[in-house]
Amino acid sequence: MARLIVDPLTRVEGHGRVELLLEGDRLHDVKVRLLESPRLFETLVVGRRYDEVPDLICRICAICSAVHKLTSLQALEKAMDVVVPPMAVTLRELLLLGGHIQSHALHLFCLILPDLRDSTDVVDLLRQEDSLAKGGLGLKALGNRIQQVAGGRIIHPINPVFGGVAYSPERSELEALAAELSNWRRDWPDFAKSFLQAGNYPESSRVLGNAVATGQADAFTLTGEHLWHEKTAAVPASDYASLLGERSREDSHAKDAAGEAGPFLTGALARARLAAGRGLPMTISEDNLGIHENNIAQLREIEWALQRAGQLLDLLLGADRAEPLQAQHKAPHAGVGTAAVEAPRGLLVHHYVVDEWGTVVAADIVTPTSINQRVMAAQIMADLADEQNHQRLMAVAERIVRAYDPCISCAVHLVPVAAS
Amino acid sequence: MKFKTPIKLAWLRFTSCSGCQLMFVNCESSLAALAKIVVLDTFPLVSSASSMNEPVDITLVEGSVSTPSEIERLLSIRRKSRLLVAIGACALTGGVNTLVKGERSMSLAEIYGDQGADWDTFSPQPVHHFVKVDGQIPGCPPERHELLESIGAILQGGWRGHQVMPVCMECRSNENRCLLTEDHAPCLGPVTAAGCNALCPGLGVPCEGCRGEVSESNRDELLNLLIEAGLSEQEIRHRLERFGEAPYGQADR
Repeated sequence: MARLIVDPLTRVEGHGRVELLLEGDRLHDVKVRLLESPRLFETLVVGRRYDEVPDLICRICAICSAVHKLTSLQALEKAMDVVVPPMAVTLRELLLLGGHIQSHALHLFCLILPDLRDSTDVVDLLRQEDSLAKGGLGLKALGNRIQQVAGGRIIHPINPVFGGVAYSPERSELEALAAELSNWRRDWPDFAKSFLQAGNYPESSRVLGNAVATGQADAFTLTGEHLWHEKTAAVPASDYASLLGERSREDSHAKDAAGEAGPFLTGALARARLAAGRGLPMTISEDNLGIHENNIAQLREIEWALQRAGQLLDLLLGADRAEPLQAQHKAPHAGVGTAAVEAPRGLLVHHYVVDEWGTVVAADIVTPTSINQRVMAAQIMADLADEQNHQRLMAVAERIVRAYDPCISCAVHLVPVAAS
Repeated sequence: MKFKTPIKLAWLRFTSCSGCQLMFVNCESSLAALAKIVVLDTFPLVSSASSMNEPVDITLVEGSVSTPSEIERLLSIRRKSRLLVAIGACALTGGVNTLVKGERSMSLAEIYGDQGADWDTFSPQPVHHFVKVDGQIPGCPPERHELLESIGAILQGGWRGHQVMPVCMECRSNENRCLLTEDHAPCLGPVTAAGCNALCPGLGVPCEGCRGEVSESNRDELLNLLIEAGLSEQEIRHRLERFGEAPYGQADR
């Protein structure tokens, strides 16, 4: 049996490869291998104090560092019944949106755009003075400036602290951001166009996987108390383990999202599908782009995030600067907390058990790429079942993986091999 | 060492969060200028270009080394690179990866089950344990200007030098309030290498020491101040070891 190997996968975060097994000229089996070295974050935080854990845990992944920090804070605050004041909630959401815009712009303009232009990378596109690459980097810079202002740093933010935020940004910085956002809302439709042309993507069969995401019933949000799913009723976020089917330690020969309601699809496209199911306005394209429609869903989310960030800035600029930034009572006590937040590339769950002194005694983290890995291999198999050209097989398989916007560093729960 | 532009730049990443290479892409407004002097070759996050065994001018290495296959990749890129620069806390001192305590196979089995126990991996090590390192850029992650200055200095045939001041000096010159002595917050500014323009203390957040220990630091005095601030011995240890235990200070090499 012949075997084609794409290694390393390029223009994706982290180290992974795809193995395509052929029988005759036909694709027979697909393996998506995530080859990150183990980082053991779930044991690393055990024995550490509650207020130190978010600083450590954001180091799982730089692209998702803001959402990791915020999700871990939320879970730990829940475990100890700490209520974060509204100003801090608003600033944290602004930071989350900055990370979202930065990550989506990175994916679309630096990782996907070279495919649309038949180029190797964004630096090459800049050398050719590609205006879309240049403009897209401007949007990415905006995402980073939002993270800088709301989080203090563009990677591993420092402003969110246990119980709230450390400081409120200067008024002048918020005003500058608000002005910049309003310019982008005006210019954005022109930037989005190129990505909407169906001819830019390889043919793809229907999207596999049952969508799963968090969010609210009555508004499109990245945070929520429930997990929405296409095939079952919404469940409380704390029931994540039974929905996703993460195997417990006792029987863990293969730890992945193997729940009966799967295989799961998570990310921008899953969010859009679930939002449409709840009657929320989050439309995607009419063309059938298969999994490549995830790019279009990310475009729509950028548009939404530009709007939402503007609203948050209005709130912050109108707020009384004397409002509290941190919870009044934040003494540690024993407890269990779970938080679910939508990272740019899908559902992220953090779950902690703390003892009476606030020391973490157990941690569990479920990342989007570990949820998606089963469906990635299946999608390659479905899309390329009839393809016989070896070069095209390898190139399109890589583009399919890229469309999910995977973050392999994040996949701390990975199973080394996911076969279709 | 003289280089002809455009130089070939490779980026190798081991056990890390990808934050150092993301910082490269985060130089959004400088990338067009960089595109005129730098060609990417073997930089998987950003580029599909790879000329395999062709030599490259500069390789940046991010992350700590924790598997035999990572050692092989490191040795092979060292052989084809004129200069090899280690970047970020993980590559310089091991970083947060070193915080996993106890027997590694037990942790692997705990998280990944039976198949984890067979994983061929060892305690994360800094890059200089295995190969000659020509330059180091500290930080978790490093600042954008440090990355750009380093590439610029190399093109001029030199190196940007290493930081001999602690973060405290930057706080002084920026007239920041002292978090350690005035607020009794656990700030590691006195023993941490400068270069970040005291970013965190400037915003009222105590320094967590992500840039590694400055040479000739007065650690004993810091310990006294942290005890005065009310931290327990364990809390102090946890805070000091966050980005890799001793050698800590390899940034001076």
